Amino acid sequence: MARVSPLLSQYIHQLSENLKNHKPQCVNEIIPAYRSLTVCFDPLIFEHKIVEEQLEKVIAQSYFNDLLEANETLIKIPVCYQGDFASDLAFVAETNNLTCEQVIERHTKPTYLVNMLGFLPGFLYLSGLDESLHTARKAIPALQVEAGAIGIGGGQTGIYPFASPGGWHIIGQTPVKIFKPESDTPFIAKPMDHIQFVPIDEAEFQRIARSENEFSGVDISEKNRL
Amino acid sequence: MSLRFIKPGLQTSLQDSGRSGFMHHGIGAGGVMDSDSASLANWLVGNPANAAVLEITLIGPVIEFLSPMTIAVCGAEFVLSLNEFPIENGESIEVEKGDILTFGHRESGSRAYLAFSAEPDVEKCFDSFSTQLSAGFGGFKGRAFQANEELALKKIRQTKTRRLPRSLVANYLGKYLFRCCPAVETEKFETSVLQKFQQSAYQVSADSNRMGVRLIGEPIDYQAIGEIISGGLTQGSIQLPSSGLPIISSVDGQTIGGYPRIANIISADLPLLGQLRANDRVRFQIVTLEKAVNFLRQKQAYYNRLLAGKLTAH
Repeated sequence: MARVSPLLSQYIHQLSENLKNHKPQCVNEIIPAYRSLTVCFDPLIFEHKIVEEQLEKVIAQSYFNDLLEANETLIKIPVCYQGDFASDLAFVAETNNLTCEQVIERHTKPTYLVNMLGFLPGFLYLSGLDESLHTARKAIPALQVEAGAIGIGGGQTGIYPFASPGGWHIIGQTPVKIFKPESDTPFIAKPMDHIQFVPIDEAEFQRIARSENEFSGVDISEKNRL
Repeated sequence: MSLRFIKPGLQTSLQDSGRSGFMHHGIGAGGVMDSDSASLANWLVGNPANAAVLEITLIGPVIEFLSPMTIAVCGAEFVLSLNEFPIENGESIEVEKGDILTFGHRESGSRAYLAFSAEPDVEKCFDSFSTQLSAGFGGFKGRAFQANEELALKKIRQTKTRRLPRSLVANYLGKYLFRCCPAVETEKFETSVLQKFQQSAYQVSADSNRMGVRLIGEPIDYQAIGEIISGGLTQGSIQLPSSGLPIISSVDGQTIGGYPRIANIISADLPLLGQLRANDRVRFQIVTLEKAVNFLRQKQAYYNRLLAGKLTAH
Protein backbone atom coordinates (compact mmCIF):
# COMPACT_ATOMS: atom_id res chain seq x y z
CA MET A 1 0.00 0.00 0.00
CA ALA A 2 2.87 2.29 -0.76
CA ARG A 3 2.19 5.84 -1.85
CA VAL A 4 -1.20 6.00 -0.15
CA SER A 5 -1.48 8.87 2.27
CA PRO A 6 -4.24 10.41 4.38
CA LEU A 7 -3.27 13.88 3.15
CA LEU A 8 -3.55 12.85 -0.49
CA SER A 9 -6.91 11.16 0.19
CA GLN A 10 -8.13 14.35 1.84
CA TYR A 11 -7.03 16.40 -1.17
CA ILE A 12 -8.77 14.01 -3.58
CA HIS A 13 -12.03 14.23 -1.63
CA GLN A 14 -11.73 18.02 -1.48
CA LEU A 15 -11.26 18.04 -5.26
CA SER A 16 -14.25 15.74 -5.62
CA GLU A 17 -16.43 18.13 -3.53
CA ASN A 18 -15.25 21.14 -5.54
CA LEU A 19 -16.09 19.28 -8.76
CA LYS A 20 -19.58 18.47 -7.48
CA ASN A 21 -20.20 22.13 -6.73
CA HIS A 22 -18.71 23.44 -9.96
CA LYS A 23 -20.94 25.04 -12.59
CA PRO A 24 -21.45 24.07 -15.35
CA GLN A 25 -21.82 20.53 -14.04
CA CYS A 26 -20.14 18.67 -16.86
CA VAL A 27 -19.45 15.35 -15.15
CA ASN A 28 -22.06 12.83 -14.07
CA GLU A 29 -19.87 10.46 -12.05
CA ILE A 30 -16.87 11.08 -9.82
CA ILE A 31 -14.90 8.11 -8.48
CA PRO A 32 -12.29 9.12 -5.90
CA ALA A 33 -9.63 6.47 -5.22
CA TYR A 34 -6.28 6.32 -3.38
CA ARG A 35 -4.31 8.33 -5.91
CA SER A 36 -6.78 9.15 -8.64
CA LEU A 37 -10.12 10.71 -9.42
CA THR A 38 -12.07 9.19 -12.32
CA VAL A 39 -14.85 11.24 -13.90
CA CYS A 40 -17.52 10.25 -16.41
CA PHE A 41 -19.26 12.63 -18.78
CA ASP A 42 -21.57 12.48 -21.78
CA PRO A 43 -19.45 13.38 -24.83
CA LEU A 44 -22.60 14.27 -26.80
CA ILE A 45 -23.39 17.04 -24.29
CA PHE A 46 -19.90 18.23 -23.33
CA GLU A 47 -16.90 17.97 -25.61
CA HIS A 48 -13.84 16.28 -24.18
CA LYS A 49 -11.86 19.51 -24.50
CA ILE A 50 -14.47 21.52 -22.56
CA VAL A 51 -14.54 18.95 -19.75
CA GLU A 52 -10.75 19.02 -19.59
CA GLU A 53 -10.76 22.82 -19.33
CA GLN A 54 -13.38 22.77 -16.58
CA LEU A 55 -11.43 20.11 -14.65
CA GLU A 56 -8.25 22.13 -14.94
CA LYS A 57 -10.08 25.15 -13.57
CA VAL A 58 -11.28 23.20 -10.54
CA ILE A 59 -7.84 21.68 -9.99
CA ALA A 60 -6.23 25.14 -10.18
CA GLN A 61 -8.66 26.35 -7.50
CA SER A 62 -8.04 23.40 -5.16
CA TYR A 63 -4.88 23.55 -3.13
CA PHE A 64 -3.25 20.92 -0.99
CA ASN A 65 -3.60 23.21 1.99
CA ASP A 66 -7.19 24.08 1.11
CA LEU A 67 -8.38 21.10 3.08
CA LEU A 68 -11.63 20.08 4.66
CA GLU A 69 -11.77 20.53 8.40
CA ALA A 70 -10.07 17.56 9.96
CA ASN A 71 -12.69 14.83 10.25
CA GLU A 72 -12.65 13.39 13.75
CA THR A 73 -15.57 11.01 13.42
CA LEU A 74 -14.73 7.64 14.92
CA ILE A 75 -17.15 4.83 14.24
CA LYS A 76 -16.83 1.81 16.50
CA ILE A 77 -17.83 -1.46 14.89
CA PRO A 78 -18.46 -4.45 17.18
CA VAL A 79 -16.83 -7.65 15.90
CA CYS A 80 -17.08 -11.21 17.17
CA TYR A 81 -13.70 -12.88 16.61
CA GLN A 82 -14.90 -16.27 17.88
CA GLY A 83 -16.03 -19.67 16.63
CA ASP A 84 -17.64 -19.96 13.23
CA PHE A 85 -17.45 -16.19 12.76
CA ALA A 86 -13.65 -16.43 12.56
CA SER A 87 -13.05 -19.36 10.22
CA ASP A 88 -9.56 -18.22 9.12
CA LEU A 89 -8.36 -16.57 12.36
CA ALA A 90 -6.13 -19.54 13.27
CA PHE A 91 -4.62 -19.55 9.78
CA VAL A 92 -3.81 -15.83 9.92
CA ALA A 93 -2.27 -16.29 13.39
CA GLU A 94 -0.19 -19.28 12.33
CA THR A 95 0.99 -17.67 9.08
CA ASN A 96 2.22 -14.63 10.97
CA ASN A 97 3.65 -16.51 13.98
CA LEU A 98 1.15 -14.97 16.34
CA THR A 99 -1.47 -16.28 18.74
CA CYS A 100 -5.16 -15.72 17.92
CA GLU A 101 -5.33 -13.30 20.87
CA GLN A 102 -2.45 -11.27 19.41
CA VAL A 103 -4.20 -11.07 16.02
CA ILE A 104 -7.38 -9.78 17.69
CA GLU A 105 -5.41 -7.31 19.80
CA ARG A 106 -3.50 -5.96 16.79
CA HIS A 107 -6.64 -5.80 14.65
CA THR A 108 -8.67 -3.89 17.26
CA LYS A 109 -5.92 -1.51 18.35
CA PRO A 110 -5.58 0.88 15.36
CA THR A 111 -8.09 3.40 14.12
CA TYR A 112 -8.46 2.82 10.41
CA LEU A 113 -8.95 5.63 7.91
CA VAL A 114 -11.76 5.28 5.35
CA ASN A 115 -9.86 6.26 2.18
CA MET A 116 -12.87 5.81 -0.07
CA LEU A 117 -15.98 3.75 -0.77
CA GLY A 118 -16.10 1.52 -3.80
CA PHE A 119 -15.43 -1.85 -5.38
CA LEU A 120 -18.76 -3.21 -4.08
CA PRO A 121 -21.77 -1.09 -3.01
CA GLY A 122 -21.01 0.29 0.45
CA PHE A 123 -17.55 -1.29 0.72
CA LEU A 124 -15.05 0.76 2.75
CA TYR A 125 -11.41 0.94 1.68
CA LEU A 126 -9.55 1.10 5.00
CA SER A 127 -5.90 1.88 5.61
CA GLY A 128 -3.93 1.30 8.78
CA LEU A 129 -3.70 -2.49 9.07
CA ASP A 130 -0.82 -3.57 11.33
CA GLU A 131 1.96 -4.90 9.10
CA SER A 132 2.37 -8.04 11.18
CA LEU A 133 -1.17 -9.05 10.06
CA HIS A 134 -0.63 -8.75 6.31
CA THR A 135 -1.62 -12.11 4.79
CA ALA A 136 -1.66 -13.03 1.09
CA ARG A 137 -5.16 -13.63 -0.30
CA LYS A 138 -6.55 -17.14 -0.63
CA ALA A 139 -5.44 -18.88 -3.84
CA ILE A 140 -9.02 -20.05 -4.35
CA PRO A 141 -11.70 -17.59 -3.23
CA ALA A 142 -14.42 -18.90 -0.91
CA LEU A 143 -17.73 -19.31 -2.75
CA GLN A 144 -19.76 -17.64 -0.02
CA VAL A 145 -18.69 -15.11 2.59
CA GLU A 146 -21.33 -13.80 5.00
CA ALA A 147 -22.49 -10.18 5.09
CA GLY A 148 -20.54 -8.41 7.84
CA ALA A 149 -17.55 -10.77 7.62
CA ILE A 150 -14.26 -9.07 8.51
CA GLY A 151 -11.40 -10.11 6.26
CA ILE A 152 -7.71 -9.60 5.69
CA GLY A 153 -6.42 -9.70 2.11
CA GLY A 154 -2.80 -8.76 1.55
CA GLY A 155 -2.22 -5.44 3.32
CA GLN A 156 -5.90 -4.59 3.52
CA THR A 157 -8.67 -5.28 5.99
CA GLY A 158 -12.35 -4.75 5.30
CA ILE A 159 -15.96 -5.64 5.93
CA TYR A 160 -18.05 -7.56 3.37
CA PRO A 161 -21.15 -5.36 2.88
CA PHE A 162 -23.31 -8.31 1.75
CA ALA A 163 -22.90 -12.04 1.17
CA SER A 164 -20.61 -12.69 -1.80
CA PRO A 165 -17.72 -14.84 -2.95
CA GLY A 166 -14.42 -13.59 -1.52
CA GLY A 167 -10.70 -14.22 -1.40
CA TRP A 168 -9.90 -12.64 1.96
CA HIS A 169 -9.18 -14.54 5.16
CA ILE A 170 -12.13 -14.20 7.52
CA ILE A 171 -11.15 -13.35 11.08
CA GLY A 172 -14.47 -12.18 12.50
CA GLN A 173 -17.94 -10.86 11.79
CA THR A 174 -19.93 -7.78 12.75
CA PRO A 175 -23.68 -7.98 13.45
CA VAL A 176 -23.99 -4.37 12.26
CA LYS A 177 -25.32 -3.89 8.76
CA ILE A 178 -22.78 -1.69 7.05
CA PHE A 179 -24.84 -1.28 3.84
CA LYS A 180 -28.59 -0.68 4.14
CA PRO A 181 -29.89 0.13 0.64
CA GLU A 182 -33.47 0.77 1.83
CA SER A 183 -32.47 3.16 4.60
CA ASP A 184 -32.14 6.96 4.54
CA THR A 185 -28.57 6.45 5.72
CA PRO A 186 -27.43 3.51 3.58
CA PHE A 187 -23.70 3.77 4.35
CA ILE A 188 -22.12 3.35 7.77
CA ALA A 189 -19.25 5.72 7.04
CA LYS A 190 -18.02 8.32 4.60
CA PRO A 191 -14.53 8.98 3.26
CA MET A 192 -12.06 10.37 5.86
CA ASP A 193 -14.07 8.92 8.77
CA HIS A 194 -12.21 6.63 11.14
CA ILE A 195 -13.19 3.10 12.06
CA GLN A 196 -12.25 1.01 15.05
CA PHE A 197 -13.17 -2.62 15.64
CA VAL A 198 -14.37 -3.55 19.14
CA PRO A 199 -14.28 -7.22 20.19
CA ILE A 200 -17.56 -8.71 21.42
CA ASP A 201 -18.60 -12.25 22.38
CA GLU A 202 -21.22 -14.41 20.68
CA ALA A 203 -24.00 -13.48 23.12
CA GLU A 204 -23.44 -9.79 22.43
CA PHE A 205 -23.33 -10.54 18.68
CA GLN A 206 -26.74 -12.22 18.85
CA ARG A 207 -28.19 -9.38 20.95
CA ILE A 208 -27.05 -6.71 18.48
CA ALA A 209 -28.11 -8.82 15.48
CA ARG A 210 -31.63 -9.06 16.95
CA SER A 211 -31.90 -5.33 17.55
CA GLU A 212 -30.52 -4.63 14.05
CA ASN A 213 -33.31 -6.74 12.61
CA GLU A 214 -36.00 -5.15 14.80
CA PHE A 215 -34.97 -1.57 14.16
CA SER A 216 -33.23 -1.71 10.87
CA GLY A 217 -33.05 2.07 10.72
CA VAL A 218 -31.25 2.44 14.05
CA ASP A 219 -27.58 3.26 13.98
CA ILE A 220 -26.05 1.43 16.91
CA SER A 221 -22.49 2.47 16.21
CA GLU A 222 -21.05 4.79 18.78
CA LYS A 223 -19.77 8.01 17.37
CA ASN A 224 -17.04 9.42 19.55
CA ARG A 225 -14.42 12.08 19.21
CA LEU A 226 -10.97 10.71 18.51
CA MET B 1 -53.07 -4.10 -12.58
CA SER B 2 -50.11 -6.39 -12.95
CA LEU B 3 -48.37 -9.10 -14.88
CA ARG B 4 -47.71 -12.55 -13.52
CA PHE B 5 -44.82 -14.93 -14.11
CA ILE B 6 -46.18 -18.41 -14.80
CA LYS B 7 -42.54 -19.39 -15.44
CA PRO B 8 -39.81 -16.92 -14.50
CA GLY B 9 -37.14 -17.91 -17.04
CA LEU B 10 -33.46 -18.22 -16.16
CA GLN B 11 -32.94 -14.66 -14.93
CA THR B 12 -35.72 -12.16 -15.55
CA SER B 13 -35.27 -8.89 -13.70
CA LEU B 14 -36.65 -5.37 -13.63
CA GLN B 15 -34.21 -2.83 -15.08
CA ASP B 16 -34.23 0.72 -16.41
CA SER B 17 -31.48 2.89 -17.84
CA GLY B 18 -29.67 2.71 -14.51
CA ARG B 19 -28.27 5.07 -11.90
CA SER B 20 -26.08 8.09 -12.07
CA GLY B 21 -24.08 9.77 -9.34
CA PHE B 22 -23.58 6.90 -6.87
CA MET B 23 -20.27 5.45 -8.03
CA HIS B 24 -18.39 7.14 -5.19
CA HIS B 25 -20.45 4.89 -2.88
CA GLY B 26 -19.46 1.80 -4.83
CA ILE B 27 -22.80 1.71 -6.64
CA GLY B 28 -22.37 1.41 -10.37
CA ALA B 29 -24.72 2.38 -13.17
CA GLY B 30 -26.60 -0.92 -13.26
CA GLY B 31 -29.64 -1.00 -15.52
CA VAL B 32 -30.18 -2.77 -18.81
CA MET B 33 -27.04 -4.29 -20.34
CA ASP B 34 -28.23 -3.70 -23.91
CA SER B 35 -29.57 -0.16 -23.76
CA ASP B 36 -30.13 -0.05 -27.56
CA SER B 37 -32.65 -2.90 -27.49
CA ALA B 38 -34.33 -1.62 -24.32
CA SER B 39 -34.71 1.88 -25.85
CA LEU B 40 -36.22 0.46 -29.04
CA ALA B 41 -38.69 -1.68 -27.05
CA ASN B 42 -39.65 1.39 -25.04
CA TRP B 43 -40.07 3.45 -28.21
CA LEU B 44 -42.44 0.80 -29.59
CA VAL B 45 -44.79 1.19 -26.62
CA GLY B 46 -44.49 4.98 -26.43
CA ASN B 47 -42.32 5.06 -23.30
CA PRO B 48 -39.33 7.31 -22.72
CA ALA B 49 -36.10 5.48 -23.64
CA ASN B 50 -35.07 5.14 -19.99
CA ALA B 51 -38.33 3.54 -18.75
CA ALA B 52 -38.36 0.28 -16.79
CA VAL B 53 -38.41 -2.98 -18.77
CA LEU B 54 -37.95 -6.67 -18.08
CA GLU B 55 -34.48 -7.97 -18.89
CA ILE B 56 -34.78 -11.59 -20.01
CA THR B 57 -31.64 -13.73 -20.10
CA LEU B 58 -31.03 -16.89 -22.22
CA ILE B 59 -34.17 -18.76 -21.14
CA GLY B 60 -37.33 -16.71 -21.38
CA PRO B 61 -40.39 -16.58 -19.10
CA VAL B 62 -44.08 -17.34 -19.58
CA ILE B 63 -46.07 -14.25 -18.60
CA GLU B 64 -49.77 -13.73 -18.01
CA PHE B 65 -51.04 -10.16 -18.39
CA LEU B 66 -53.65 -9.32 -15.78
CA SER B 67 -54.59 -5.99 -17.40
CA PRO B 68 -54.82 -4.84 -21.01
CA MET B 69 -51.69 -2.95 -22.17
CA THR B 70 -49.26 -2.59 -25.07
CA ILE B 71 -46.01 -4.56 -25.05
CA ALA B 72 -42.97 -5.03 -27.27
CA VAL B 73 -39.94 -7.34 -27.24
CA CYS B 74 -36.55 -6.34 -28.67
CA GLY B 75 -33.01 -7.68 -28.37
CA ALA B 76 -32.21 -11.40 -28.32
CA GLU B 77 -34.38 -13.26 -30.77
CA PHE B 78 -36.76 -15.75 -29.13
CA VAL B 79 -39.61 -17.70 -30.71
CA LEU B 80 -42.53 -15.75 -29.22
CA SER B 81 -46.16 -16.69 -28.98
CA LEU B 82 -49.22 -15.00 -27.55
CA ASN B 83 -51.88 -17.56 -26.61
CA GLU B 84 -50.21 -20.05 -28.99
CA PHE B 85 -50.21 -17.58 -31.94
CA PRO B 86 -46.76 -16.59 -33.19
CA ILE B 87 -45.79 -12.94 -32.75
CA GLU B 88 -42.73 -10.98 -33.84
CA ASN B 89 -39.81 -9.27 -32.20
CA GLY B 90 -39.62 -5.56 -32.85
CA GLU B 91 -43.29 -4.61 -33.03
CA SER B 92 -45.78 -3.41 -30.47
CA ILE B 93 -48.64 -5.68 -29.55
CA GLU B 94 -51.86 -4.96 -27.68
CA VAL B 95 -52.55 -7.60 -25.07
CA GLU B 96 -55.83 -8.29 -23.27
CA LYS B 97 -56.43 -9.36 -19.70
CA GLY B 98 -55.58 -13.08 -19.43
CA ASP B 99 -53.32 -13.19 -22.50
CA ILE B 100 -50.28 -15.42 -22.08
CA LEU B 101 -46.91 -14.58 -23.68
CA THR B 102 -44.51 -17.51 -24.06
CA PHE B 103 -40.82 -17.13 -24.78
CA GLY B 104 -39.78 -20.25 -26.69
CA HIS B 105 -36.49 -21.25 -28.26
CA ARG B 106 -33.79 -18.59 -28.33
CA GLU B 107 -32.52 -18.10 -31.88
CA SER B 108 -29.77 -15.52 -31.34
CA GLY B 109 -28.33 -13.13 -28.80
CA SER B 110 -28.50 -13.38 -25.04
CA ARG B 111 -30.85 -10.78 -23.56
CA ALA B 112 -34.33 -9.74 -24.68
CA TYR B 113 -36.17 -6.69 -23.37
CA LEU B 114 -39.90 -6.60 -22.78
CA ALA B 115 -41.31 -3.08 -22.59
CA PHE B 116 -44.84 -2.41 -21.34
CA SER B 117 -46.99 0.74 -21.55
CA ALA B 118 -47.06 1.23 -17.77
CA GLU B 119 -44.86 1.95 -14.78
CA PRO B 120 -43.83 -0.68 -12.26
CA ASP B 121 -45.54 -0.06 -8.92
CA VAL B 122 -42.42 -0.62 -6.82
CA GLU B 123 -40.19 1.76 -4.87
CA LYS B 124 -37.16 3.17 -6.61
CA CYS B 125 -33.85 2.43 -4.91
CA PHE B 126 -31.00 4.91 -5.37
CA ASP B 127 -33.13 6.75 -7.88
CA SER B 128 -33.75 3.79 -10.19
CA PHE B 129 -35.95 0.75 -10.78
CA SER B 130 -32.87 -1.31 -11.64
CA THR B 131 -32.19 -4.56 -9.84
CA GLN B 132 -28.63 -5.03 -8.56
CA LEU B 133 -28.70 -8.83 -8.47
CA SER B 134 -25.34 -9.50 -6.83
CA ALA B 135 -25.83 -6.99 -3.99
CA GLY B 136 -29.55 -7.76 -3.75
CA PHE B 137 -31.21 -4.35 -3.90
CA GLY B 138 -33.50 -2.37 -6.20
CA GLY B 139 -36.11 -3.55 -8.68
CA PHE B 140 -38.41 -6.30 -7.47
CA LYS B 141 -37.19 -7.41 -4.00
CA GLY B 142 -33.58 -7.01 -5.13
CA ARG B 143 -33.66 -10.21 -7.16
CA ALA B 144 -34.89 -11.97 -10.29
CA PHE B 145 -38.57 -12.95 -10.52
CA GLN B 146 -39.74 -16.36 -9.33
CA ALA B 147 -42.66 -18.49 -10.49
CA ASN B 148 -46.12 -17.16 -9.65
CA GLU B 149 -44.89 -13.74 -8.59
CA GLU B 150 -46.71 -10.66 -9.81
CA LEU B 151 -45.22 -7.35 -10.83
CA ALA B 152 -47.72 -4.64 -9.87
CA LEU B 153 -48.13 -1.90 -12.48
CA LYS B 154 -49.55 1.61 -12.48
CA LYS B 155 -50.35 4.32 -15.03
CA ILE B 156 -51.26 1.73 -17.67
CA ARG B 157 -51.94 3.29 -21.06
CA GLN B 158 -52.96 2.01 -24.46
CA THR B 159 -50.73 3.25 -27.24
CA LYS B 160 -50.85 3.06 -30.98
CA THR B 161 -48.86 0.15 -32.35
CA ARG B 162 -45.60 0.55 -34.23
CA ARG B 163 -43.07 -1.63 -35.95
CA LEU B 164 -39.30 -1.29 -36.26
CA PRO B 165 -37.77 -1.07 -39.72
CA ARG B 166 -36.29 -4.46 -40.71
CA SER B 167 -32.76 -3.10 -40.48
CA LEU B 168 -33.22 -2.52 -36.75
CA VAL B 169 -34.56 -5.96 -35.86
CA ALA B 170 -31.50 -7.56 -34.39
CA ASN B 171 -29.87 -10.70 -35.66
CA TYR B 172 -26.88 -11.61 -33.53
CA LEU B 173 -24.25 -13.67 -35.30
CA GLY B 174 -22.06 -14.42 -32.30
CA LYS B 175 -18.94 -12.73 -33.74
CA TYR B 176 -18.25 -9.21 -32.64
CA LEU B 177 -15.64 -6.50 -33.01
CA PHE B 178 -15.52 -4.14 -30.04
CA ARG B 179 -13.88 -0.82 -30.71
CA CYS B 180 -11.93 0.63 -27.80
CA CYS B 181 -10.30 3.87 -26.70
CA PRO B 182 -7.00 4.02 -24.89
CA ALA B 183 -7.37 3.71 -21.08
CA VAL B 184 -5.26 5.04 -18.20
CA GLU B 185 -2.54 2.39 -18.42
CA THR B 186 -2.67 1.68 -22.19
CA GLU B 187 0.53 3.60 -22.91
CA LYS B 188 2.41 1.65 -20.27
CA PHE B 189 1.99 -1.57 -22.23
CA GLU B 190 4.57 -2.47 -24.87
CA THR B 191 3.46 -2.11 -28.50
CA SER B 192 3.68 -5.88 -28.97
CA VAL B 193 1.18 -6.38 -26.12
CA LEU B 194 -1.28 -3.90 -27.64
CA GLN B 195 -0.85 -5.61 -31.03
CA LYS B 196 -1.52 -9.02 -29.56
CA PHE B 197 -4.59 -7.63 -27.76
CA GLN B 198 -5.98 -6.46 -31.10
CA GLN B 199 -5.01 -9.55 -33.09
CA SER B 200 -6.40 -12.15 -30.70
CA ALA B 201 -9.77 -13.81 -31.18
CA TYR B 202 -11.27 -14.42 -27.75
CA GLN B 203 -14.12 -16.64 -26.70
CA VAL B 204 -16.68 -15.48 -24.14
CA SER B 205 -16.45 -17.56 -20.95
CA ALA B 206 -19.59 -19.05 -19.40
CA ASP B 207 -18.36 -17.36 -16.23
CA SER B 208 -19.70 -13.98 -17.47
CA ASN B 209 -22.61 -11.98 -16.08
CA ARG B 210 -23.94 -8.47 -15.45
CA MET B 211 -20.80 -7.65 -13.45
CA GLY B 212 -18.33 -8.53 -16.14
CA VAL B 213 -17.45 -10.54 -19.22
CA ARG B 214 -14.55 -12.97 -18.92
CA LEU B 215 -12.70 -14.17 -21.98
CA ILE B 216 -10.89 -17.35 -22.95
CA GLY B 217 -8.02 -17.45 -25.44
CA GLU B 218 -4.28 -17.33 -25.67
CA PRO B 219 -3.05 -15.37 -22.64
CA ILE B 220 -1.03 -12.21 -23.27
CA ASP B 221 2.34 -12.64 -21.62
CA TYR B 222 3.42 -9.21 -20.46
CA GLN B 223 6.04 -7.61 -18.28
CA ALA B 224 4.66 -6.13 -15.08
CA ILE B 225 4.04 -2.48 -15.87
CA GLY B 226 4.85 -1.16 -12.44
CA GLU B 227 2.71 -0.89 -9.37
CA ILE B 228 -0.97 -0.28 -10.02
CA ILE B 229 -2.90 1.39 -7.22
CA SER B 230 -6.62 0.65 -7.22
CA GLY B 231 -8.52 3.18 -9.30
CA GLY B 232 -11.87 3.83 -10.99
CA LEU B 233 -13.55 1.39 -13.36
CA THR B 234 -16.54 2.09 -15.56
CA GLN B 235 -18.71 0.05 -17.86
CA GLY B 236 -16.48 -1.13 -20.71
CA SER B 237 -13.19 -0.90 -18.81
CA ILE B 238 -10.96 -3.78 -19.92
CA GLN B 239 -8.54 -4.96 -17.25
CA LEU B 240 -5.60 -7.23 -17.99
CA PRO B 241 -4.83 -9.26 -14.86
CA SER B 242 -1.66 -11.33 -14.55
CA SER B 243 -3.49 -14.31 -16.08
CA GLY B 244 -3.12 -12.41 -19.39
CA LEU B 245 -6.82 -12.79 -20.25
CA PRO B 246 -8.82 -9.54 -20.46
CA ILE B 247 -11.88 -8.95 -18.26
CA ILE B 248 -14.54 -6.46 -19.40
CA SER B 249 -16.50 -4.56 -16.74
CA SER B 250 -20.24 -4.36 -17.30
CA VAL B 251 -23.23 -2.57 -15.78
CA ASP B 252 -23.00 -4.10 -12.28
CA GLY B 253 -19.21 -4.18 -12.29
CA GLN B 254 -17.03 -3.03 -9.43
CA THR B 255 -16.39 0.73 -9.31
CA ILE B 256 -12.74 0.41 -8.30
CA GLY B 257 -10.27 -2.22 -9.43
CA GLY B 258 -6.60 -3.03 -9.09
CA TYR B 259 -5.52 -4.55 -12.42
CA PRO B 260 -4.04 -2.45 -15.24
CA ARG B 261 -6.63 -1.11 -17.67
CA ILE B 262 -5.54 -1.87 -21.21
CA ALA B 263 -8.48 -0.19 -23.02
CA ASN B 264 -12.08 1.03 -22.72
CA ILE B 265 -14.85 -0.14 -25.02
CA ILE B 266 -16.34 2.88 -26.80
CA SER B 267 -19.80 4.02 -25.67
CA ALA B 268 -21.38 3.22 -29.06
CA ASP B 269 -20.43 -0.46 -28.71
CA LEU B 270 -21.26 -0.99 -25.01
CA PRO B 271 -24.86 -2.18 -25.53
CA LEU B 272 -23.62 -5.22 -27.50
CA LEU B 273 -22.03 -6.57 -24.31
CA GLY B 274 -25.57 -7.48 -23.28
CA GLN B 275 -25.92 -9.88 -26.20
CA LEU B 276 -22.74 -11.87 -25.55
CA ARG B 277 -23.13 -15.46 -24.52
CA ALA B 278 -20.73 -18.32 -23.79
CA ASN B 279 -18.48 -19.24 -26.75
CA ASP B 280 -19.26 -16.10 -28.79
CA ARG B 281 -16.18 -14.71 -30.57
CA VAL B 282 -14.83 -11.29 -29.59
CA ARG B 283 -12.09 -9.11 -31.07
CA PHE B 284 -10.85 -5.67 -30.10
CA GLN B 285 -9.67 -2.69 -32.12
CA ILE B 286 -8.22 0.46 -30.59
CA VAL B 287 -9.50 3.69 -32.17
CA THR B 288 -8.92 7.34 -31.34
CA LEU B 289 -11.12 9.25 -28.93
CA GLU B 290 -12.30 11.49 -31.80
CA LYS B 291 -13.49 8.46 -33.77
CA ALA B 292 -15.19 7.03 -30.68
CA VAL B 293 -17.18 10.23 -30.20
CA ASN B 294 -18.06 10.30 -33.91
CA PHE B 295 -19.37 6.73 -33.82
CA LEU B 296 -21.57 7.65 -30.86
CA ARG B 297 -22.80 10.82 -32.57
CA GLN B 298 -23.69 8.92 -35.76
CA LYS B 299 -25.54 6.29 -33.80
CA GLN B 300 -27.44 8.90 -31.80
CA ALA B 301 -28.42 10.72 -35.00
CA TYR B 302 -29.74 7.47 -36.46
CA TYR B 303 -31.85 6.77 -33.37
CA ASN B 304 -33.10 10.34 -33.29
CA ARG B 305 -34.34 9.99 -36.87
CA LEU B 306 -36.13 6.82 -35.86
CA LEU B 307 -37.71 8.49 -32.85
CA ALA B 308 -38.83 11.38 -35.03
CA GLY B 309 -40.70 8.81 -37.10
CA LYS B 310 -38.64 9.25 -40.25
CA LEU B 311 -37.49 5.67 -40.44
CA THR B 312 -40.76 3.91 -39.69
CA ALA B 313 -41.10 1.52 -42.59
CA HIS B 314 -43.83 -1.07 -42.61
